[in-house]
Amino acid sequence: MSERAPTLVLDRASVAYGDVPVLEELHGVVHEGEAVALIGPNGAGKSTFIKALLGLVPVVRGRIEVLGRPPAQARRDVAYVPQADTLDPDFPVSVEQVVMMGRYRRIGWLRRPSAEDRAEVADALERVGLAGRARDRFGTLSGGQRQRVLLARAIAAKPRMLLLDEPFNGVDAVSQHALLEAIGSLKAKGASVVVSTHDLAIAHLACDEVCLLNRHQFGFGPTGDVLTPERLRATYGGHALELRGDRVIVTQT
Amino acid sequence: MILFEPFHLPFMARALVELVVLGALAGTVGVLVLLRRLAFVSDTLTHTVFPGVVIGHLMAGDGGIFWGALAAGVATAVLLTLLTQRRRVSEDAALAMLLTTLFAVGVVLVSRQTGFTSDLTAFLFGRVLTVTEAQLAQTAVVTVVVVALLAVLRRPLLLRAFDPEGAQAAGVRVGLLDLVLNVAVALVVVAAVKAVGTILVIALLIVPAAAARSLSDRLAVIVPLACLVGAAAGWLGLVVSYEASVGYGVRLASGATVVLVLVAMYGLAHAAGFVRRKAGLSRARRRSVLEAA
Repeated sequence: MSERAPTLVLDRASVAYGDVPVLEELHGVVHEGEAVALIGPNGAGKSTFIKALLGLVPVVRGRIEVLGRPPAQARRDVAYVPQADTLDPDFPVSVEQVVMMGRYRRIGWLRRPSAEDRAEVADALERVGLAGRARDRFGTLSGGQRQRVLLARAIAAKPRMLLLDEPFNGVDAVSQHALLEAIGSLKAKGASVVVSTHDLAIAHLACDEVCLLNRHQFGFGPTGDVLTPERLRATYGGHALELRGDRVIVTQT
Repeated sequence: MILFEPFHLPFMARALVELVVLGALAGTVGVLVLLRRLAFVSDTLTHTVFPGVVIGHLMAGDGGIFWGALAAGVATAVLLTLLTQRRRVSEDAALAMLLTTLFAVGVVLVSRQTGFTSDLTAFLFGRVLTVTEAQLAQTAVVTVVVVALLAVLRRPLLLRAFDPEGAQAAGVRVGLLDLVLNVAVALVVVAAVKAVGTILVIALLIVPAAAARSLSDRLAVIVPLACLVGAAAGWLGLVVSYEASVGYGVRLASGATVVLVLVAMYGLAHAAGFVRRKAGLSRARRRSVLEAA
């Protein structure tokens, strides 16, 4: 179907913390320039999925390959965007310093940031629409803006794969738009994107593929094919769908 | 002048150098302790170094204190790193147990000596006025090692403190980095044992950093400021305790006086920080009114 190179290969993979399997039977492929949405209820294992792609949770069965390598060896080309509200807003760092962290791998331990590093930081902030806030303290920004700063940090690292953990949670409309724009431009440059979200509308809007998760995989494939009421009902179970799934699906069809 | 006059005496000059260097070192390391919220872990370290001090003293007299403290400090730094990596046991409870157990071991050992209260006081609260040149050299070496280590690792340390998951994702070896910081804290405690004792050193670690933090939001300012506050408190504390005892016949323990001076400086910094934030807020409000207009 696609001539682009595969960037993520899941081959009947199971991941586990110790003896307890958290996710089983993951199977699918993502290509360059594609985005996949991880959809599932709370506790479904979406964050674990992302950690597995970083090589932080071991694969106990099957195989996961990131950029043609075992996950832990691909970290150099993978950027991770945590949820902004997990970070301490009192921490004394400026927006610019946070984005510069994305360059640390290139800068190394001792060298001072070069003109190129500074230009990349400025460019990344520009792309998330926060060019004017470089000198402000990270914690003084709104939740949505902090999320954009963390995306800018990832952009500055020039990743070939971007992993985002619930980036749209509690984010205002302006920031959501800015995040989607920036993710879109990364995709256009050939990066693959994996994003966990509760928001089916965003999955439709921004992602080519969907992975439905709840402890094991309930579907993986093109958004239109996978996001069906039946599959969502299976993923979320009866109660959850009554509360949230159905209503969203109706607005989507 | 009163700020300089006491230091014509050689033992006072040595004490001054020791406290100024220690204050600067502890101020620097303290910023990381503060950012990582490791105050309780550091306090545990200060207490677990104590039995090492006692054992070192029993085995080799005053010269053994440094090495005993070093062995105990590094051993507990490793233990604490392992303990805080896996969060199965309630971390607080585990630390509290470790702290009191090893502290009790130290007290039991020291109480078997004759004249033990005097030794105990020295180990717990330090005797900065009897610091020797060899001890100054030890402090200097520890300072150079620790500051060099933190300078080299400043970027991963910052990333790990700010965003532990992001650091792991970026390939930073978080466990190893935590060990390095815990060992750095242990080294500060070891260096400070003779001067301020195992109990008071926690103030040297925490208070300058907290004072600097309330004065600035920028790390590039906070670190040198904490360093300065630590060093200045060492100096002023010595002057105050000297003046009180020589000028007024009131004997003040110098280590404890340094801590009280530190706390007073923190009070001032906190008040100044409060004023600064108020001013900053009204500036921001004016700016947003201007932007809206």
